[in-house]
Amino acid sequence: MIFIGLLLCVCLVFGSPANVGSVLQPGTSSLVTFRILFTTGSAFDPPGKEGLAALTASMLAQGGTRSLSYDQIVEALYPMAASVNSQVDKEMTVFTGTTHLENLDRYYGLLRDMLLDPGFRPEDFKRLREDAINFLKVSLRETNDEELGKEHLYNVIYAGHPYGHHNAGKVSSLEKLTIEDVADFYRTHYTSGNLVIGLAGGYPKGFAEKVEADFGKLPDRPADKKRFDNPNLAAGTHIDIITRDTRSTAISLGFPIEVNRSSKDWAALALVASYFGQHRSSNSYLYQRLREARGLNYGDYAYIEYFPRGMFLMTPDPNIARQQQIFQIWIRPVEAENGVFALRAALYEYDKLVRNGISQEAFETTREFLTKFANVLTQTQGARLGYALDSRYYEIPEYTSYIKSQLAKLTMADVNAAIRRHLKSDRMRIVLVTKDANAIRDAIVNNVPSPIKYNSPKPKEIMDEDQVIEAYRINVKPEDIVVVPVAQVFQ
Amino acid sequence: MKKFLAAISVLCFAAAVPAQQKETRLFPYNYTIDDLDNGLRLVTVPTDFPNMIALYIVVQAGSRNEVEPGKSGYAHLFEHIMFRGSEHYTPEQRDRILKKAGAESNATTNFDRTTYYETFSKEDLEPVMKLEADRFQRLKYPEPAYKTESLAVLGEYNKNSADPTEKLDEVLHATAFNRHTYAHTTMGFLKDIQDMPNQYNYSLQFYNRFYRPEYTTILLVGDVSRDQALGLTKKYFGDWKRGNYVPDIAVEPPQNAPRTAAVDWNSPTLPWLAVAFRGPAYSDEKIDKAALDLLSPIAFGPNSELYQRLVLKEQKVDELQPDFGNHPDPELFTIYSRIKDPKDVDYVREQILATFERFSKEPVDQAKLDATRSRIRYSFALRLNSSSAIANALAGYIGLRRTPETINRLFALYQRITPQDIRMIANQYFTPNNRTIVTLTSKGAKD
Repeated sequence: MIFIGLLLCVCLVFGSPANVGSVLQPGTSSLVTFRILFTTGSAFDPPGKEGLAALTASMLAQGGTRSLSYDQIVEALYPMAASVNSQVDKEMTVFTGTTHLENLDRYYGLLRDMLLDPGFRPEDFKRLREDAINFLKVSLRETNDEELGKEHLYNVIYAGHPYGHHNAGKVSSLEKLTIEDVADFYRTHYTSGNLVIGLAGGYPKGFAEKVEADFGKLPDRPADKKRFDNPNLAAGTHIDIITRDTRSTAISLGFPIEVNRSSKDWAALALVASYFGQHRSSNSYLYQRLREARGLNYGDYAYIEYFPRGMFLMTPDPNIARQQQIFQIWIRPVEAENGVFALRAALYEYDKLVRNGISQEAFETTREFLTKFANVLTQTQGARLGYALDSRYYEIPEYTSYIKSQLAKLTMADVNAAIRRHLKSDRMRIVLVTKDANAIRDAIVNNVPSPIKYNSPKPKEIMDEDQVIEAYRINVKPEDIVVVPVAQVFQ
Repeated sequence: MKKFLAAISVLCFAAAVPAQQKETRLFPYNYTIDDLDNGLRLVTVPTDFPNMIALYIVVQAGSRNEVEPGKSGYAHLFEHIMFRGSEHYTPEQRDRILKKAGAESNATTNFDRTTYYETFSKEDLEPVMKLEADRFQRLKYPEPAYKTESLAVLGEYNKNSADPTEKLDEVLHATAFNRHTYAHTTMGFLKDIQDMPNQYNYSLQFYNRFYRPEYTTILLVGDVSRDQALGLTKKYFGDWKRGNYVPDIAVEPPQNAPRTAAVDWNSPTLPWLAVAFRGPAYSDEKIDKAALDLLSPIAFGPNSELYQRLVLKEQKVDELQPDFGNHPDPELFTIYSRIKDPKDVDYVREQILATFERFSKEPVDQAKLDATRSRIRYSFALRLNSSSAIANALAGYIGLRRTPETINRLFALYQRITPQDIRMIANQYFTPNNRTIVTLTSKGAKD
C-alpha cells in the first residue's frame, strides 16, 4: 500500500566511496527524494552569455535526451506523477525530484538519462530560450512589481560583479545564445568535481552506490572553486525608480553584508532579521509598525539571505547558498500617494534599529522562536536533504543542530555588536517601482514632506512619530536618483 | 500563477484512482471524528512525523457566503480581522504566544471556506488551542483597528493588481455568473474593498453569522493523540454557542447562450485566454465531477495531445492550464492559456474548443485513463510529506464534507468510471450554451 512517513531513523552520511560528493539520508519513507546538485550557476555565465547556466539546466530538466524526446519523457513521468525540476542560483544548480519507491527504477532511469545523456534538441532550445526571454520581458517586468523591484535591487548592488545579472540572464544575451553555447557550458561545468548527489528516503541497499557510479562517469575535473568578493559599491545612498503603469508603489532596499551562513555573526544577524522582519509573519517589528499600526500595505520584511519568490512561499527553498549576501528590506506595494512616506518609514525604522539595537526581551523571544522554527523549516524529507547540502557547501554541521547551538551561545550584547559591525547604511541601495517616477524623484531630491492621511484615529505616539517620518531626510545626491524605464530592466 | 498552481493541486489530490492496485483507500492514515453538542467537529489524525503538530481550523464560509450586493470580499476581510485581537488577547499578546511556540501561522480564504492554521512544536498545543478558542468565540476589535486592517486588504489587492490573470479571473466570473455569488472573486470588487472601512457594523454581523461551531471543523494532525485533542477541544471550545444563520445563496439559472468578454490590459502582456464551461458541483456519490476530473489532465494536461501540440511542437502557447476545483455549488471548468503571438489567439481558441468537442464525442483511451488514475494516486501520496502537508491536503475536503472519508469515497468512485461515462458527462456539460470565453490583451495588441 502507499504509505508515507515513518522517518524513524534518518541518518546523515557525508561523502562517498568514489570521487563523487554525496549527502545520503537513508530512511524508511516510501518516498525517495533526489537533489542532484552542481556547484555552478549564473555567476559562471560567460560575459555576454548571461542566462547560459539557467538555460542549460532547463534544457536538461525540460528537454529531451538523446534517445527520448521531451514529450516522450513527459509521457513516461505522467503515471508516476513525478517530475524533474531545476533551480539555478549564482553558485548552485540543483535538479530535484521525488518518486514513490514503487517507481524508483523507472524514475531514476529517466532522471539519469536527462542529466547524463542530454539530447540538446533544437526544438527544445527554441522553446526554452523563448520561455526565458518571456519570463524576463513579460512575467517579471510586467506582472509582479515586487519581484521586479527585489531582483533589480540585486542587479544594482552587484553591478559589474559576477552576481550582477538575474539568474535567468539578460534579454539581449539570451537572444544571442546558441545551442552550442549550452552544450559547451554543460561539458565545462557538469563535472564530477562540481557534483554532489543528494538522496533521501527508503531507497534500497546498493542504490546510492549505483547512482554514484553512474554519475561518476561525468568528466573528472576539479570543482569550479571561485572566490566571489564583496561588491565594490560607491559610498552613499543610490535610488533607482523603475517606471511602469501600475496602481501602487513597490519598495526594496538593502546593501551587501560580509556575513553568510558559515560566518561567526550569522546567527546574530539571522536573529536581527527575524526580529525586524520575519518573512510573512506578523511577529516582527517592521510589520507591526507599518502594516499593523498604520495599514500601509500587506507586509514588511527583512532578510540576510537571498529569498526569491517570497510572495509565493512561506519558507525559503534550499540550495541557493551564496558566498555573498545582502541585508534587504522588502516593503510590499503601498498606495501610490504613500510611496515616499513608506520609504521614509522604512529608513527611519532601520536607522532606529542600527542606533538602538534590540532589547533583552526582543532578543530572548526571537531566539526562542528561531530555535523552534528550525523544525518548521526542515519538516519535509526534501527540505532536510536540501539544508544538508547547503551545510556541506558552507562547511557547517547539520542545520537544525547548528542554528540551535549557535543561538544558545548568543547574548544580547553579541547581537547588538553584530548590528554595529555589519548594518551600515553608508552604501544603501533603494529600488522603487511606480507610475509617477518623476514626482517621487522630485519629492526626495527637494525633501518635500510626505504627510500621511488615515481613515481612523491613531494613538498620539503614532501621530508624533509620523511628524518625524514625514520630514525624514533621505540623504541622496540628485545625480544618484535615476529613473529607469521598465523596458531597460533585465535588458 | 499562484492560483493556477493551487487549482492544479486541488485537482491532483481531488482525484484518486488505482492503476495496478486494488486499494480502496487513498487517504492512508487512521483518523477519528468527534462531534461536540454545539455542532463543532474535531478531526484528529495522528502521524509518525515526530514533534510537530499542524492545527487547521476550517470555517465553511468563503466569498460564496457574501450574499448582499456591495459586500464582496468580507470572508477574506475576516481572515485579516481575526488577527486583530480577542477578549483575552491583544494582537501583541497573540503574537508573543505564537512567537514563543516558533509557529508558522497564517490563513487563507477561497470561494467556499476560510482556513486558519498553525504548525508548531507539540509542547505548545494547549496554549495555541486556548488562544485560537478565544478569537473564534470572542473576537474583539475596535473600529479604528478594523479600519486600519481594511487598508491592509487594499494593500493585498494592490500587490495582486499587476498580475493580468487576477483581472482575467475577475471578469470571467462576473461574466459566467449572474446570480450566484461565484460572480465575484474572493478578493472582491475594488469598489467594495474601498468601502470596507465604512462597514464596521456589517463586519460584526458577518462574524456573528459564520464564526459558529456548526460552520467549523478543527483538524489536528501530527504528534498528537485523540484523547489529548478531544480534551483540549472540549475544554476550550465546548461553550461555544451554536448560531442559526443560513445564507440564501441564489441558484444560478441555466445559461441559455454562449458568453464572451474582452479585457484591455494597460501594460504590455502576452494575450491570455480563458475558455470555461459550467461544471458540476463536488460529489463523492454522483459521477459527474469525478468523470471530468479524470478528463481534465487527459485532454488538457502536459501529457495531452493538445498541450504537446500547442506548447511543445507548434510552440504557440507557453501556458496551458486546466482549472477545475471542488466546490459545493456548480462552478467552472476552465482552460487558461497564454499565447505568444496575438495573431494566434483565434487559432488557439479554436483548438481548445475543438478539444472540448472531441472529448464530448469520443471516449478517452483506456490506457490513458489508467495512467491518469495512477498519476492521481501517486500525486496524492507524494503530497503527504509532513503533518502540515497532510492537514493542508485534507482541509479542502473538510471544507466540503467535514470528513477525510470523502477522499476514499471519491477514490472508489474514480475506480468505477469508464471511458463511456466520461464521454457522456463531457457531452452533457461542454455545450455552447454553457460556455464563457474571456480574452485579455494589451491595449491595441490585437488586430
